[in-house]
Amino acid sequence: MTDDTSKGNEGEAIGVFLCGCKGEISKFLDLDAIKDLISRVPKVKSIGIHEALCSREGQEYLKEEMKKHAFDRVVVGACSPNIQGIIVGKALEESGLNKYLFEQVNIREQCAWVHPEKEIATRKALALVNGGIHRVQMLTAMEDIPISILPAALIIGGGVAGMQAALDIARAGFKVHLVERTKELGGRAYKLSMTFPTHNCGICCMQYCKECVFTPKIEDVLQEKNIDIMLNSEIEDIEGGFGNRHVKVNTPEGAKEFDVGTIIIATGSKTFDPKRIPELKYGHPDVLTTVELEQLIVKEREKGTGVKRPSDGKTPKTIDFIQCVGSRDKTKGNLHCSLVCCTYAIGQARELKKLIPDADVYIHYIDLRGPYRGFEEFYDAAKQEGIQFVRGRVSDVSAKDGKLSVRAEDTDAGTLLGIDSDLVVLSVGQEPAEGSDKIVKMLHIQTDIDKFMKDINPMFPPELRRGIYVIGCAQGPKGIRYSVDDARTAAAEAIRIMHDGKVMMPRITARSDEYKCRGCGRCVETCEYEAISLVDDGKGGRIAKVDEIRCEGCGACAAACCNKAMILAGYAIPQVRETVKGVLEEVPP
Amino acid sequence: MSEKEFEPNIIAFTCTWCGYPSANLAGVNKIPYPANVKIIRVMCSGTVDPAMVLEAIENGADGVIIIGCLIDNCHYVSGNKKAEERMERLKKLFDIVGLDSRRIRTEWINASERVRFAKTMNEFVQQIREIGPAPRMPKLVKEALTNEKIQKEVKRLIEDTGAFDCVECGKCTTVCPVAKYDTEFAPRTIVIRSMEGLVENLANDKDIWTCSTCEICNSMCPYKVDYSGFIQGMRAQARQLGNYPICSQGGLIQSFMRFMANADLPQKRLEWMTDDLKISDKGDVFYFVGCIPHFDAIFGDREELGLNKIPQSAVKLMNAAGITPVVSNSEVCCGHDLIWTGDEEDFLKLMDKNLKLIKESGAKKVVFSCPECLRTFNMDYQDFAGDLEFELVHLSDYLLNLINEGKLKFPEGTGKLSATYHDSCRLGRHSKIYDSPRDLIKAAGINLTEMQNIKDKASCCGVSAWMSCNSTAMRLQMERMQEAKSTGADCLLTFCPKCQIHLSCAISKELPIDKEKVDIPTKDMVVALAELLESK
Ligand SMILES: Cc1cc2nc3c(=O)[nH]c(=O)nc-3n(C[C@H](O)[C@H](O)[C@H](O)COP(=O)(O)OP(=O)(O)OC[C@H]3O[C@@H](n4cnc5c(N)ncnc54)[C@H](O)[C@@H]3O)c2cc1C
Ligand code: SF4
Ligand code: SF4
Ligand code: SF4
Ligand code: SF4
Ligand code: SF4
Repeated sequence: MTDDTSKGNEGEAIGVFLCGCKGEISKFLDLDAIKDLISRVPKVKSIGIHEALCSREGQEYLKEEMKKHAFDRVVVGACSPNIQGIIVGKALEESGLNKYLFEQVNIREQCAWVHPEKEIATRKALALVNGGIHRVQMLTAMEDIPISILPAALIIGGGVAGMQAALDIARAGFKVHLVERTKELGGRAYKLSMTFPTHNCGICCMQYCKECVFTPKIEDVLQEKNIDIMLNSEIEDIEGGFGNRHVKVNTPEGAKEFDVGTIIIATGSKTFDPKRIPELKYGHPDVLTTVELEQLIVKEREKGTGVKRPSDGKTPKTIDFIQCVGSRDKTKGNLHCSLVCCTYAIGQARELKKLIPDADVYIHYIDLRGPYRGFEEFYDAAKQEGIQFVRGRVSDVSAKDGKLSVRAEDTDAGTLLGIDSDLVVLSVGQEPAEGSDKIVKMLHIQTDIDKFMKDINPMFPPELRRGIYVIGCAQGPKGIRYSVDDARTAAAEAIRIMHDGKVMMPRITARSDEYKCRGCGRCVETCEYEAISLVDDGKGGRIAKVDEIRCEGCGACAAACCNKAMILAGYAIPQVRETVKGVLEEVPP
Repeated sequence: MSEKEFEPNIIAFTCTWCGYPSANLAGVNKIPYPANVKIIRVMCSGTVDPAMVLEAIENGADGVIIIGCLIDNCHYVSGNKKAEERMERLKKLFDIVGLDSRRIRTEWINASERVRFAKTMNEFVQQIREIGPAPRMPKLVKEALTNEKIQKEVKRLIEDTGAFDCVECGKCTTVCPVAKYDTEFAPRTIVIRSMEGLVENLANDKDIWTCSTCEICNSMCPYKVDYSGFIQGMRAQARQLGNYPICSQGGLIQSFMRFMANADLPQKRLEWMTDDLKISDKGDVFYFVGCIPHFDAIFGDREELGLNKIPQSAVKLMNAAGITPVVSNSEVCCGHDLIWTGDEEDFLKLMDKNLKLIKESGAKKVVFSCPECLRTFNMDYQDFAGDLEFELVHLSDYLLNLINEGKLKFPEGTGKLSATYHDSCRLGRHSKIYDSPRDLIKAAGINLTEMQNIKDKASCCGVSAWMSCNSTAMRLQMERMQEAKSTGADCLLTFCPKCQIHLSCAISKELPIDKEKVDIPTKDMVVALAELLESK
């Protein structure tokens, strides 16, 4: 109550609309009582109650009322502003109200639906509406920020997802810069010899075949003239904001620099390093990961020499798959389920059983997870073929005189097993690709609890996604099909905004008050998005300046500023204070 | 109000991405929770300023809960972590003041966790019910201010402070450090404007808050106009007209003071005490600590400050001389920052509490380490309450005396520390204590190198009473630190904890000039002395 430089008490003609929500609100709240009390609040010019403001009739009603009263601020008491509020807001905007001068308070989800006693719910709704009335008087009219989107895309990672996105965007006529750190395109899927669900398909997804005719093909990518492929290359730096980012790449031919409007991250995943769980004796020649077993199988297929165990070249007769290595156990690795390893291990087990029919093949699992169509049939076929599924955790693998022994629980039988094994296969889980933390930092990407990158909800409007899309296994473990799906939806949106060339972004951004700012730089340090810089104030000092395009509007800078020179539009201390006051005042004076 | 009847008011600040949607989902699924909870949507949990939380309590909330995305899952990458850190500091402050940190809660709830949302709300409401209502501020009953009333008051002020004698020579503006950088600010014109007696002038005058009240003008004015006294009085009038200053930390510091003034809270302000320190409840000597514990919590992220070392060191020094001072947990802020921001009403309440407390302790002497507390007792308390029955002594005088009496001795050969000394305005120009600190420095064997501007000409740390900390303040701070650095001393000593906070703040982050030119640590004098005492 000591800091009051920002204006307030604006608005001479406030309109209030209460929505009955076809009984969803009006049955649980006494809207007439609210109307009665609110009408005593000074500056409230008129209060209307309507059955459904978001309906076509409701929107017409709002427009008529707007015409009649020429409100300069509007408060709506209805549902959540996140959903139908958008429709209501649009109707008001179309009648000439600046969209920043409108506040919708949530008397449905926050009152009608959660407080069964009508009187109590009504009283709270009244308080919320009053808060809204206080708030709108503190708001100022603003315009959205137009952001130009450059017609070029950067794709990081040339796996199946990255390639699909590259093809889609390039075919829509935009320049694509595809950066891949290894010497070849294709990523993980390219190295898998049999993929679920086709199982018997060779290098699935990379060649024409009837199952995967729609998946991207390396050849196509290489042919597409709009795609500039950089192999053996690493992103050095990315600077800039939404719609216009400057990229520096280190390629074998030297540094390359270019500007892009959208970025697609398709860096995939890496497999868990089983050395982190010493009990599993990874390092013993006959303890392999599923990825290494893959190579044995490929070799067999190419040379037809049969599958031999690495230690002595003998054909393994007892084979144990150990599931969830590094997955689903926070103490030993990661908490998340890696999703594809159950399916994949079953596939490999079936392949081995086919190659060595008299082998005993065990799969030690906690529970089997295969959230895909066809999984149950796949699993059933494996059982028919004689694969033995043992439910229970493996406590350790021991190696005495070179002989492997797997100690495991069988929780179904209630026994402890000790299996002398010829070959142990570890179903290693997945983790974010090497160096993805660097990209996370560079592009200010939110990460999930499992450290995979989070894609902003694709249901959100483009202005909230900043032209950055995370696809495929970079988002977390998933199958090829789903990785390709991601690629296509992300590409579609990238194409759309590049085609429009422009996105309107809400002006919920920070700005510094020149009069108050002392150029200390605390805000600069706090901003996760590097949106603030210190500029010369023309008097030998410096002041903070916010790049509106980079600013995400989190308000962290404002809270960090000792002198409160930094202000987040709509959420300045006086604005929040007045809202709270209105809410706590309950019955208007 | 009986326990049973008490229905708390809860403000829930929810982030846009998880907190708010989790409440929405609770609604969609009709999972009831108490109607005491009122939701205010903010962009991110990190948007919530500590001042917003305290203001919510000041405006009638009994508890504040902040709900954001799961840690490591923040929509804005790290907003929730920042919020958590800030709220931890604020909680500490709540406990010190006695507002009870359990009134603040942070909770990280995913958008889908509707049941957890409702459960958390139930729990929190129940908890606040058990804690009971937060202290309420009395509603300000505003007397109708008439033009005549204000004019009369201003006229009285002009006469009392001698501003009437102003001959418009402009000396004050020439020496004013603020006017040097803020070209629109001129002390003289404020006097002139006020003589015109226009209420509108006062209601809109931002300049009366810009003055740092450093009193360089007072000491230079040929007609001995008490300019800062004039400003202090004008501020009280301005505030009544709704003209407020721009306060650091969003006014948080003054808000806490208002709570102290208006409620008797179970404070915990002696957390800095350690087992080896001796203090008592009754005795001849009262050591008045001041706001240091508050600042220690607020600036808890600036570890280099170590503010709690100040009272620890003061007691250590006194103990070493065989003195066990009275230190009280019931002490309240002296009110300096309230009266200088125009809040006379709450200032007087604080004054009454402190005077009563000291009287009850039986003390004959009150010792201050903080120059502001000293000035406030010495001038403002005596102005309002008449002559005080006890002696007011600054620690520098007090310690010097103990040294002269042979009770306090610094070990031989400590003269390794080289320092320069900053006269804070409240100790120097306001209280005219220039020599004792310097004698003390010598007695402790510190090598003193003086800056260019010292004693009554000492430059200002830029900020007073936590307001108007702007680019002018920054420039003043740069100027002072450059002066300090160019002495070549190891550190800058000062008695004022705020000078220490402001001056070290100025050089801690981005700088408009070469860091080397200002890079000198600021240290509290009391702390330095206690360290010397212990060094062998
Ligand atoms: C053992 C195993 C078995 C699997 N089995 C199946 C199966 O049977 N069926 C199925 O549908 N799915 C399966 N999957 C999943 C499938 O591999 C993935 O869905 C698919 O590979 C994801 O494609 P992607 O493009 O997102 O990532 P990836 O294929 O991992 O490609 C990522 C690419 O990005 C590159 N890269 C990484 N970081 C950078 C960087 N910083 N800069 C430049 N380039 C970078 C990598 O070199 C790589 O080429 C399996 C996965 C594993 C681990
Ligand atoms: S997919 Fe199967 S093996 Fe992989 S982590 Fe999940 S449950 Fe474990
Ligand atoms: S933190 Fe505040 S005072 Fe410091 S540079 Fe940023 S806006 Fe200016
Ligand atoms: S609001 Fe957030 S994103 Fe914007 S400048 Fe401030 S800290 Fe950066
Ligand atoms: S120096 Fe004194 S006399 Fe001169 S203008 Fe200032 S207040 Fe008036
Ligand atoms: S100098 Fe620093 S600590 Fe002091 S008020 Fe200004 S910003 Fe805050």
